[in-house]
Amino acid sequence: MILHNIYKIISNPKIFVYTVLWLMVLVFFGTIAQKDIGLYASQMKYFSTYYFILFDYIPLPGGRLTLIIMTVNLASSLFKKNLWKMKKVGVIILHIGGLLLLVGGGVTAQFSSEGNMVINEGGNVDFVDDYHRMELCLVNISLEDSLEYIVFDDELLSEGQIINYERLGVKIEIISRIENTRIQNRVTLGDSIYKGFLKEFVLLPKEPDKENTQNRPSIIFRVRGSDNNSDGIYGLFLGQRDLDIFDFKENQYFTEFRRERSYLPFSIELLDFKKVLHPGTNVAKSFSSEINLIESKVPRRVLIQMNEPLRHQGYTFFQASFIEELDGEATVLAVVKNYGRLFPYISSIIMSIGLLVHLMVNLPKMIKKKPIQISE
Amino acid sequence: MNKNIKLIFITIFLLPLSYVSSFTIGDIPIQDEGRIKPLDTYARNHLLAFYGKRSISKINLSATDWLLNLVLDPEAGKNLKIFNIRNPEVVSSIFLDWSTDHKYSFNQILPGLRNQAALLSIIDEKPNNQRTTFEKQLIELSSNAMRFEEISYLKSLRLIPPNIGSEDEEWISPLEFILNGLNPDNYQNKILNSLQQYLAARMENDESAMTSSLVVYESALKNIPKNLFNIDTLKKETWLNQVNLFYISLGFYLFAFLMLGFSWMSNPNTLRKLSFLSLFIGFFAHGYGIILRMIIMSRPPVSTLYESVLFVSFIVILFALILEYFRKDGLGIFVGAVGGTIFHFIGFNYASDGDTLNMLVAVLNSNFWLATHVTTITMGYGASLVAGFIGHLYLVQSIREPSNTAYLKSVYNNMFGVTLVALFFTLFGTILGGIWADQSWGRFWGWDPKENGALLIVLWQLMMIHMRLSGLAKAQDFALGMSLNNIIVAMAWFGVNLLQVGLHSYGFDDGVAKNLFIFIGAELLFSFGMYYWSKKKSKRSISI
Repeated sequence: MILHNIYKIISNPKIFVYTVLWLMVLVFFGTIAQKDIGLYASQMKYFSTYYFILFDYIPLPGGRLTLIIMTVNLASSLFKKNLWKMKKVGVIILHIGGLLLLVGGGVTAQFSSEGNMVINEGGNVDFVDDYHRMELCLVNISLEDSLEYIVFDDELLSEGQIINYERLGVKIEIISRIENTRIQNRVTLGDSIYKGFLKEFVLLPKEPDKENTQNRPSIIFRVRGSDNNSDGIYGLFLGQRDLDIFDFKENQYFTEFRRERSYLPFSIELLDFKKVLHPGTNVAKSFSSEINLIESKVPRRVLIQMNEPLRHQGYTFFQASFIEELDGEATVLAVVKNYGRLFPYISSIIMSIGLLVHLMVNLPKMIKKKPIQISE
Repeated sequence: MNKNIKLIFITIFLLPLSYVSSFTIGDIPIQDEGRIKPLDTYARNHLLAFYGKRSISKINLSATDWLLNLVLDPEAGKNLKIFNIRNPEVVSSIFLDWSTDHKYSFNQILPGLRNQAALLSIIDEKPNNQRTTFEKQLIELSSNAMRFEEISYLKSLRLIPPNIGSEDEEWISPLEFILNGLNPDNYQNKILNSLQQYLAARMENDESAMTSSLVVYESALKNIPKNLFNIDTLKKETWLNQVNLFYISLGFYLFAFLMLGFSWMSNPNTLRKLSFLSLFIGFFAHGYGIILRMIIMSRPPVSTLYESVLFVSFIVILFALILEYFRKDGLGIFVGAVGGTIFHFIGFNYASDGDTLNMLVAVLNSNFWLATHVTTITMGYGASLVAGFIGHLYLVQSIREPSNTAYLKSVYNNMFGVTLVALFFTLFGTILGGIWADQSWGRFWGWDPKENGALLIVLWQLMMIHMRLSGLAKAQDFALGMSLNNIIVAMAWFGVNLLQVGLHSYGFDDGVAKNLFIFIGAELLFSFGMYYWSKKKSKRSISI
């Protein structure tokens, strides 16, 4: 009995109405907010969260929670007895399709990953840069025939964190993480606590850009326990050209602060990047990258262009952007791994069948002038 | 009705015949803004940019004639008052006196512009969104003057196809042949010669020589080995320019509205049929214009904001005609005639910016997705607006005759039916958009403003339908909801472009924001006003 009552509450179509209403409020303000805080920040604040805090005090449901409620409500409404009638078959199909769409959204939100690859013409890359997460990398360059990489993930790099790396007996204390960095000359030189790049420069925060990928993040950390004059404060920023080198127990390391990499089971070599303009204008007609997809040392030629991505081993590569420099061109490919990508395709087919069936059954009654009670 | 159908078929067959005509000077191909267009379009767009109109009606001069006169006699052309300056500040900044017709010749504005070279270079360095209105207009005037001069000595007239290469190759202007000492090949030579002959004959006013030189010109174009353009398509475009099908359709829509009005006063049936016929002919001209544009650009009906306006109004009329066919009481005609007229004026507003047949940026250059996603979503806009219109009518009707429940009920059912159809198109248009995004950007959904706008329409309609289902909304509430849906459609359609973020932010226009707010205000006032009035009325009728 109690179960029945609970069921009655969660399957109430009024819940759908209110969640839709709330979702509309979220979508509206989330869209307006993009003008000020940018797409990514607004997405994080309103849509990709379970809740958010308004005016510092009021917790409100975020996009994810709202969509979960909607999904539960929709799923439970399918078990209603009076729904399963012949004349409502279109409605049933439609709602199953809708449910599938929502579930697919959930799968995508949980399990998909995205990033990008920057490849110079002639270059060969086998990893994907994350859009948002960073990593700190120490590279041992003293080994005879190889390089040793020591990589610290984004989670370890928040302000105040102390990394105790016992294998080397070294302690790294994160002094600050800067989202978007301004670089300035150091006015007073000679303070020996600052090492490498920081000897001559300071890293200062500046207003973050709306587009997170436009920012130049940086990190300032203190190294202790190296037993020599390599102890001190180091600063690194994204895209740094001259890398800091420090000695530690007879080994030389260089340090790099870079976008978190995930490695692919194959590599991509850029043969040629092409940009075609509409003749006599500056309007781009098409972008394309001619690449070699190299898997177990065997290359395969592929042309990636706008609206024609490459799909391989669950990854999809899109022509996203390009970089033009004096010494050549580089292509920027967006890389996505999404387990939920088939859901919208399937659900839209199911939903269109459902709606068409429903319209075919009911529409003739609705356009006639004579009033007839229509089924809902 | 049989007679009418015959008449319609005759028009269908006659219309295409009218442009299978001889090759005129307006038809000659020219490359401009990335595409091959007839000289007629080129001349019209430039005259529009300089003069504000597509012909000089005061001295009965067509755009092509104006352009050719300028080429043949630059000095006279430079003294013709062709620059329309609407801002007195701009006029005084170039040391001229404000005249009532605010038209100035090239020779009048040139010294002033030269004097302001320093100011112009400062404005030039600013990004466009930081320029004031005055600065925008001054820099526009200066670039117009430059273009004018380039036309006058044939520099920007890229009339000669290149002898090598593909459609991405730039065409060559007659001046470039002289300046760069290029050696024309066989067919280029033929084109240059016949152009020269034509211009010489025009100087002499020798009609027959003009005609014969054009025949040579056409045969030279036909002999070009590569398939760079289609002469018939060029002729179609010139024809479309001259006939202006959308003015014709507007005329018929207005006439339909007028007849409907008369039919309410007297003789309901005959006049209503006449009105229906008029709406249908307008619809035909309208659709024919859209089809011609599709043929000319070889792409689906909607790829720019202007085209979306044309297509949405086409859909509105289509639904209105279907509605009228079933109801036969003028409701459909009313929706169609009013909707069609409003959208035609919005469309003319966009067309006044210049060439409406623009080339597309790379990401939009996909006929498959333009045909599926964009067409579906614009059909959804159209259907939503029809539902909104009926919503308004329902509210008005429930004030006028609250006792006529049978009529109200039938309107309500229509409204619900159209809402379902609208939901079908907006929902699948949105999902198809997601699939396009998945195909080309790698994500199905990115909370981009345009996506969110479309989603808002879908959610609103879902909400209204479920409110009806769960008993939260009765007929009047539903009508109010669908009326307000118009606001959401307008925001999704035009409003998101104002935010200027995301991947869809094309087609920004300063004037749009103001008009949009006026529309939203008026719609809110009207819908809620009617709603409360009708509620009051229905309460009273119950208490009686």
